[in-house]
Amino acid sequence: MDQVASICLAFPPEHLRDDDDSAYHKAMESQLTQLSKLLKDPSQPLRTDGLALLSLLDPSVNSLSYLAVIHSLCIPGLAGPREQLLERLVVFLLSFDARQLRYAGAHLLDILNVVGQGQLLPPAVAVNVLAAAILRIDPSGSMLTSTHINLVKLAYTTDNIEPALPVIDKSIVFYPGMANHKTPDLLCDLTLSPPSFISKDSGLTSLLKAPAILEYDLLCGMMYCARRDWAKAVAAFERVISYPTRDMGTSKIMADAYKKWVLVSLLHAGKYTALPSYTGAGAVKAYGAIGKLYKDVATIFETENAADLKAEVDEHTKEWLDDGNTGLIGEVLSAYQQWQIVNLRRVYSKISIPEIRQLTKCAQIGDVLTKDEDVETLIQNMIISGTLSGVIEKNDNGVSFLTFLSSSATLSEVDFAREIANTATRLKALQPVFKATTERLGTTKEYIKHLVKEQRRAGDKDGDITMGFGADIEDEDLMGEGPTAEALF
Amino acid sequence: MAGKSQAGQAPIAQLCQAADPSGGLQGCQTFAPELSPSTLDEAADTNTPFATLVPSTTAAARATPINMAGQSGQSGQLLTFFTAMDNQGNVIVREAPKLDLDLYISNYRGRTRFERLLLIGQSSVPLCVDALKAAVAEAKRGKDVQRYRDAWECIRIAAPNEQEAQWDQAWADKTDKANKVETHRLELELKGYKNNLVKESIRIGHRDLGQHLESIGELVAASDAYVRMRGDASTQSHILDVSKHLIGVMIQRRDWPSVLANVNKILAGSLSEDDIKVQQPYQKMVSGIAHLHSEKYYDAAKSFLETGDLAICQTYNEIASPNDVATYGGLLALASMDRSELQARVLDNANFRNYLELEPHIRKAVSMFVNGRYAACLAMLESYRPDYLLDVHLQKHIPAIYAQIRSKCIVQYFIPFSCVTLDSMNEAFAKPGESLEAELITMIRSGRLQARINTIDRLLVAVSLDRRAEMQTKGLETARGYEKEALERIRRMSLIAANLEVKGNPRERAGGPVTDQWYEDTRRQLNAGEAPA
Repeated sequence: MDQVASICLAFPPEHLRDDDDSAYHKAMESQLTQLSKLLKDPSQPLRTDGLALLSLLDPSVNSLSYLAVIHSLCIPGLAGPREQLLERLVVFLLSFDARQLRYAGAHLLDILNVVGQGQLLPPAVAVNVLAAAILRIDPSGSMLTSTHINLVKLAYTTDNIEPALPVIDKSIVFYPGMANHKTPDLLCDLTLSPPSFISKDSGLTSLLKAPAILEYDLLCGMMYCARRDWAKAVAAFERVISYPTRDMGTSKIMADAYKKWVLVSLLHAGKYTALPSYTGAGAVKAYGAIGKLYKDVATIFETENAADLKAEVDEHTKEWLDDGNTGLIGEVLSAYQQWQIVNLRRVYSKISIPEIRQLTKCAQIGDVLTKDEDVETLIQNMIISGTLSGVIEKNDNGVSFLTFLSSSATLSEVDFAREIANTATRLKALQPVFKATTERLGTTKEYIKHLVKEQRRAGDKDGDITMGFGADIEDEDLMGEGPTAEALF
Repeated sequence: MAGKSQAGQAPIAQLCQAADPSGGLQGCQTFAPELSPSTLDEAADTNTPFATLVPSTTAAARATPINMAGQSGQSGQLLTFFTAMDNQGNVIVREAPKLDLDLYISNYRGRTRFERLLLIGQSSVPLCVDALKAAVAEAKRGKDVQRYRDAWECIRIAAPNEQEAQWDQAWADKTDKANKVETHRLELELKGYKNNLVKESIRIGHRDLGQHLESIGELVAASDAYVRMRGDASTQSHILDVSKHLIGVMIQRRDWPSVLANVNKILAGSLSEDDIKVQQPYQKMVSGIAHLHSEKYYDAAKSFLETGDLAICQTYNEIASPNDVATYGGLLALASMDRSELQARVLDNANFRNYLELEPHIRKAVSMFVNGRYAACLAMLESYRPDYLLDVHLQKHIPAIYAQIRSKCIVQYFIPFSCVTLDSMNEAFAKPGESLEAELITMIRSGRLQARINTIDRLLVAVSLDRRAEMQTKGLETARGYEKEALERIRRMSLIAANLEVKGNPRERAGGPVTDQWYEDTRRQLNAGEAPA
């Protein structure tokens, strides 16, 4: 036990400097060899003395050893008192040192997968822990991993959306299995881009298939829907419907996302927005056929026919149910009048509540509301929620009226500069991503082939020019140093 | 005014009333039989004002006693007739126009006379019978049996008691036969010319055949014959001749793109300055009409305004009269040009002034618009609406043109103000007792009027564009768009690099097993109850 403990505590060595990558790498390698010896030991010292060892180790300092111990304790099946063990597990996942664990990705992934199944920990805790772990491994959160998929599934099915938000809010730009990403020499290099150390080879993720990625974004969208964050939901669904396709391919998930996207864009923007230009041709065609019903609803939504909208919705109750969109359709119906009121801004500057009641219709009952008070309540709620910028005032003769305020109060020069600067910062933050992509693309076989071809062609052209007599002279002229044409003659 | 929906349920009384008081109804009853076709042809060909011939007969006819029983029967038949017309989607004009039918038609010659008469007969309630009778007479003067049939079909329903309502089978047979003989003769003649290989004769042969076919209503064959003339055209004037013949047929066939294509050829050749001056009126007038029908009102207005010499224009009255040019040009300019352009191009246009003198009310309307007297301008135009609705070229476009003029008036009226009371707007533009609000709303919605309505203080408030805010929003939007696009591009590149695109093989497209599996498992419906508030 003491010997095992000393091995476990051997890393980090005292004199190790954090900025010396190669020394760190070396120390790590030797520690790995030692630990794997222990893991292979048939007497399973790590499993038998596990809990005692854990109390000796600091999860944030001796992360690698801690992982080895906890891995052998938890897989397969828990060995030891459940409560204690799980507490250790949670503490570990919330505080581990990601740099060390890059060397033992496969083991970490095992643990994360077990947690992701949702059996070990209560779902609320599991979601929290997974989200924290994902961001510890890759603080930029720009790479999709198999853990992401587990996280969103668990979060959505158990309705623990809040803790998953920090992860799903990140924009994903990298995916496992990208061509031309080699395992780097020094895995501990902190400047590495996420795809270099998160890969199937490093074990931190397994390979994903297209449906899994589509599913991820679709679930993200549905989670935002549940939170009524329509803007983000639209963006998420848009990622699904505009997913790159080849040979006119379309997936059923994309079609499902399209249906939701249409409804959510009605909620978000009050109208049907055009498909992104880069949507696959096959997908566009499929959407036209499959999503016709939804498109029809969107078309009616933009008109002033509340009764038609209600009729259309009522007529297709079964379809909404089959597609799992009953809730969203209900939202659309209730949003109809709100958008009608918002659109009044384009025509009126001040308008009385009774007039609004006459001018806008409620799609839930398919007609105008019967009481002015209902309209007033609706408008007040809209003002409070920020969908409408205006105030309700009362006239001398007791008639309430709505005054629309200007929608975009002019920003001060300073605020504006700050806003722009923020965007610039975010763009600058993309720099590493950009660099990684450039590097990757710059070293692909296709690109190099293309480059060689280009060079050869350019070379040929040069050859042609030098063949000519006139070009020869000009060439020398340009050089400037050698004898000029005049001097030659 | 004579909207389709209203006309369908027009009460009989209204129609009777409209048909009844017109003196002209009885007026022309006798003029056709009295005037021999030869006289009329002569009148038309020599351009003698036909009008001078007619009034005497009209006046005489007015004196004839009116048979009251016949009258009431007639209104019933008129009602049947106009219900049928309405069902066919024709425009129906119930108000009496200001024009005098005889005077009006005397401005034209050639085949357009019949078209215009028939249109008035089919559209105008007060002038219906007169116009139809004149149309029958006009048809019988020509050789086109189909036209006679068309006119007869109308008058048979509208006024079955009239003499013209009796089908003249003898005339039809005779004309038909004569036409066939003539066609055959011309074709033989042409064959002869072709055998002799004399270019000029062949050209003339084609032309004669074309003219004959045109006159008997075989328009497609006629244009074919005219096209064949081109092969043997040797001089510039021959080419012009071909184009004009072709355009004449194209206008009758309502083939506006072809008209435009041909009309541009007229001025394409290397013409001398004098030639251009001579050809311009024709060219501009025809292209104006073609643009009008293509709903390019601004181009059409420009063409009409550049028509040039009135005397030359007059000679092309088989297409349109100078009066028409004045009306079309003025109305379309009002609909499509702003005030300074109207002043410069219409009122200060020396050439066009001659035309405007023919239609002084158009000139008045334009100058009222330029001087900001919008309500008066609109009232003036409104009073002439029935007339314009009876014009063969304007009829279909009048609602659009009037709407454009009207909304321009409202916009212009509002420009100098930051805020106007709705009442004063109503006073200026609305019909008595009606409110302008609905129209203003449509205009604001479509973006033509930059204003907001304040229903509490009853004001129309101008929107002051805040350029700064606009710039800021735009700037931020661009920045965000850029960011989004950059991310999206990198994302797509990565996906493609990872070979993760959705591929188009049939199994996956149908949503293969892998694709579907996940969904059934994790599916959870977002129902109203479940969505956390």
